[in-house]
Amino acid sequence: MPKTIAALAIALVAASLPPAPALSEVEGQNQNPVFRLGGANGPKVAERANRPAPKLADGTIDLSGVWSGGGEVEIPRLLKPGELDAILQPWAKTLMATRTEDKDPYNYCMPGGPLRLTGGFAWRFVQHPTVNSTHIFMLQEANAHTYRQIFMNAKHPPDPDPSWYGHSTGRWDGDTLVIDTVGLHDKFWLDGSGIPHTDRLHLVERWTRTDFNTLRRDVTIDDPGAFTKPFTVTYTARLAEPGSEILEYICIENNQYGLPGGISKPADSR
Amino acid sequence: MRYIAAALLLVAAPAAAHHSWTADYDANKPVTVKGVVSKVEWTNPHTHFYLDVKDTNGTLTTWNFEMASTLALQRSGWSRKTLQVGDEVTISGFGGRAVTTRAVASSIVTADGREVFKGTPGQ
Repeated sequence: MPKTIAALAIALVAASLPPAPALSEVEGQNQNPVFRLGGANGPKVAERANRPAPKLADGTIDLSGVWSGGGEVEIPRLLKPGELDAILQPWAKTLMATRTEDKDPYNYCMPGGPLRLTGGFAWRFVQHPTVNSTHIFMLQEANAHTYRQIFMNAKHPPDPDPSWYGHSTGRWDGDTLVIDTVGLHDKFWLDGSGIPHTDRLHLVERWTRTDFNTLRRDVTIDDPGAFTKPFTVTYTARLAEPGSEILEYICIENNQYGLPGGISKPADSR
Repeated sequence: MRYIAAALLLVAAPAAAHHSWTADYDANKPVTVKGVVSKVEWTNPHTHFYLDVKDTNGTLTTWNFEMASTLALQRSGWSRKTLQVGDEVTISGFGGRAVTTRAVASSIVTADGREVFKGTPGQ
């Protein structure tokens, strides 16, 4: 096909596309996926900027949707200067000083743990749309079809096996979803800065949809094995453009990290 | 036709990098080579495009150019068919710190002069 005609054909196809879905249809099945993640910049996002957070029929805040961000900023950048240094235990400070990017297990496709699940890749809150839902899921497109499951109004088992994403319980505190996570091991890094932690790590996340487009995530990080006291950091996630979907991304498929640079794979990043 | 769709969207993709690119590639090693695409790896965490490049003596070298994830490329208008085996392109980027026939792409221009990619390496 001659290129001018091809360009015209594209323009015609674009002109004949159905109008953008109404907001109530945003989370419906996507018949014409655009696969975009416009964040706060897309025009359709701006249209809904002043809308309040939506609610389910029972009055619960609806967190459903594809979100971008909410864990992508490294923790030291979220703290005051010197704050991390003041609360890191000496062993953790020594270990952190050795942790350069090329040693990060995440760069070798190992899971990133709860904080990084909502990092730079798109992710989706899946909230059972009924009263008294028993589970809430967080699905991340990256790493390899990764998920967290939040057991609503449940208790932690007395001695959970330490794992990459731990055991998470959830409850509503007014319009804020509170997620409490224990049962984590120390094989992942909390974030890209390499802050160490132990299997005594306890995370309390408070997720608040402050308006239609925005999720505020306050995380209290408590680990008596690595820090001298608990501390809190705040992240922000943005709702993706209408029609956005999470996509497939299998990290171990073709990871050539380190080869161009001649970097040796660290033993603890298997 | 496949180039046109990509050319419409030369915007930088959202941040979805698996890692920064500076551990593997050197910003002080800019490279520009012209050749023929010999293999496409439409894969994650990053895509790779292999380019057969002949020097003035006729010696063939295959370059391995790294680009963004399939997710980031799709979201900026690319598809698995945007660059295909046999396409003649000029690719600019930054060379590998240890392997000189590897590079991260920052610009791709087709034989008829259209820039189908311009972006921050590694995104």
